[in-house]
Amino acid sequence: MSITCDQLDSMLPDLFSGDLHPEDEETAAEHLATCDHCRITVSDLEQVGDLGRRHGRLELPAQAKVRIRTLLED
Amino acid sequence: MTWPPALDQDRSAAIVALFDELADGVYTLAVRLLRDRHLAEDVVQETFLAAFRNLESYEGEGPIAAWIYRIGYHKSIAAHRRRRDEPRDPALMMRSTARVVASAEQEVVRSELIATLDRAIDGLTQPLRVVFVLRDIEGLSTYETATALAVSPSAVKMRLLRARKELRESLKEYL
Repeated sequence: MSITCDQLDSMLPDLFSGDLHPEDEETAAEHLATCDHCRITVSDLEQVGDLGRRHGRLELPAQAKVRIRTLLED
Repeated sequence: MTWPPALDQDRSAAIVALFDELADGVYTLAVRLLRDRHLAEDVVQETFLAAFRNLESYEGEGPIAAWIYRIGYHKSIAAHRRRRDEPRDPALMMRSTARVVASAEQEVVRSELIATLDRAIDGLTQPLRVVFVLRDIEGLSTYETATALAVSPSAVKMRLLRARKELRESLKEYL
């Protein structure tokens, strides 16, 4: 079954959560194989998630870590 | 060890183990929500002290990481409200309007990409920002994020998509 770009867009929340039904997954893959616009969109949105994973995390300063850890141990 | 741990010593060990695993994650969440590293440190401390005091209230109703993040989220919101209600003294304003990257020295060593990502995340509305932080940055599942924020899994999925779409616009040159 072929779908439109709007239909593919409505599948994205489940696609990015890994919750797409297997049949829908197949339908989405078919659309992505033939639609450059959607393929680029999905790839960009996946890369945004990757950037967050790789660069978004912050580290609690070591001094604060020691201070709070000591507080919890006492 | 039974849960919740009965002995003070065991309770302390359990919380310290959670702290070692999740301190950076709660700190990331608090900084991203408050845009203030000093306040975020206070939130981390309050979060784990509250978890220690309230271990009994965790009944295994979801992953324990989600429980900790839920406390961290509420502590961050409370800190944000307190700050809003405080008289605006200049020193506080300086601190509260400081960007995520606190010092010029740090700014230099961080790449342009990371600075752009920080600004883009800062620009998201709070409901989108917190979902992006928990799902993409901290790697919580949809279910864990929904539990931490007390929203439906479908709301988490929709917000994550909207967050990524908005961030895509700001990060175009890096994709």
